Amino acid sequence: MSVTNQTPATQSTLKEQIREFIQVQLAEPKGIASFTDDESLMETGVIDSLGIFRLVSFLEEDLKVRVSDEEINAETLKSVNAIEELVIRKKK
Amino acid sequence: MDFSWSEEQAAFRKEVIRFAKQELNDDLTRRDEEEEFPREFWNKCAQFGIQGLPVPQEYGGGGADTLTTACALEALGYGCKDNGFLFSLNAHMWTSELPLMAFGTEEQKRRYLPKLASGEWIGLHCMTEPMSGSDAYSLKARAERKGNCYVINGSKTFITNTTHGDLFIVFANVDPSKGANGVTGFLVEKGAPGLVLGKKLHKMGLRTSPMSEVALVDCEVPAENVLGKEGSGQAIFTHSMEWERTCILASHLGMMQRLIETCVKYARERQQFGQPIGKYSAIANMVADMEVRLETGRLLLYKAAWLKSQGRHALKEAAMAKLFISEATVQTCLDAIQIHGGYGYMREYEMERDLRDSVSGKIYSGTSEIQRVIIAGFQGL
Repeated sequence: MSVTNQTPATQSTLKEQIREFIQVQLAEPKGIASFTDDESLMETGVIDSLGIFRLVSFLEEDLKVRVSDEEINAETLKSVNAIEELVIRKKK
Repeated sequence: MDFSWSEEQAAFRKEVIRFAKQELNDDLTRRDEEEEFPREFWNKCAQFGIQGLPVPQEYGGGGADTLTTACALEALGYGCKDNGFLFSLNAHMWTSELPLMAFGTEEQKRRYLPKLASGEWIGLHCMTEPMSGSDAYSLKARAERKGNCYVINGSKTFITNTTHGDLFIVFANVDPSKGANGVTGFLVEKGAPGLVLGKKLHKMGLRTSPMSEVALVDCEVPAENVLGKEGSGQAIFTHSMEWERTCILASHLGMMQRLIETCVKYARERQQFGQPIGKYSAIANMVADMEVRLETGRLLLYKAAWLKSQGRHALKEAAMAKLFISEATVQTCLDAIQIHGGYGYMREYEMERDLRDSVSGKIYSGTSEIQRVIIAGFQGL
């Protein structure tokens, strides 16, 4: 396996943290068993109006990043990948 | 952790109380009865700097932090008995100035914030519709892009500040297929073609705060008057609600303190069976419970305000503050009337107005039931 194809360990952990939160806290209570990392979570109903703020609360309290009001929208928080990108950008 | 006000905040609080007692209570019984909004009080508050408190100085405001603003509103609630007027002030600050500060373009901020901060203009937002209250994002108002404009059609109800309003933040859906993600905020100025004030609504309390229906009939709004981006209405509205739920009941804290002091004074003076009624545990316990409610409410509100002042989100904390203080205020009003007996039930004693005013706190800015949904939702339920 080529080294360049590997996802850095820290990013992999971060994505898993995000995925686990969304899976356990937001998707499963709605009876949604699975979703992909690119899936639009608002369009598929995984994240609703309250879920957005639960997610933001998770990002702020657990992942220690500040999310501005302008960033709380359907694009920035669209998918697991988009959320991961946001957190990485914020932590730089 | 520091639970005290700074010397400056304490001095400011005293000054606000003095101002409110002296300037904001005249002729209240008549104004309440006749549902009259006191524009002259609005102007006095503007001169004092109330409306501009949370607005940055570069836009003509006072640039006060959230806790200082909450401190001022609590002081107003203590010194000013006109809860309807204070409600209008809050609507102006939290659902008009704050969303503009957070989501407005630089040009929008420069155009509108100085007028709102100076009190020259009165702001409001239009969200609720006849068929969408708690389920706010199911609104039916539609906005259609036509060239450089949006054309809005829809009906709004229970809208505060309308008859004196200058800047309406109207929420409409630009793409219903996207559901809540199509909801968009628009800045609509008084006099815009198609912006029509409907019938005036007569309320149980907060009667000095104007409220009416609003109709949007082919209302044309320039595209540059979109607040934020297309589809960001949900974020704007939630932002407004978070701020409003954090701060709107600060004045209720002041009202509760005023009622407690009134009750204590009465309980010391009123003699029955040869001693002051405050010597009876039935009365003393009621006062003790009132005091506990007040202090608990303060802790909840100050915590939410502190989070906001740190630039953090506080949806759950704001919901807890709003839920607790609104319900505590109703109970405190009922207890105050009970302690005063027959006198408390008389309009002359002014507590029945506080009670009527306080009931709405359990309804506006999200009902108590919705606050519980939010709090439970944060627990994963």
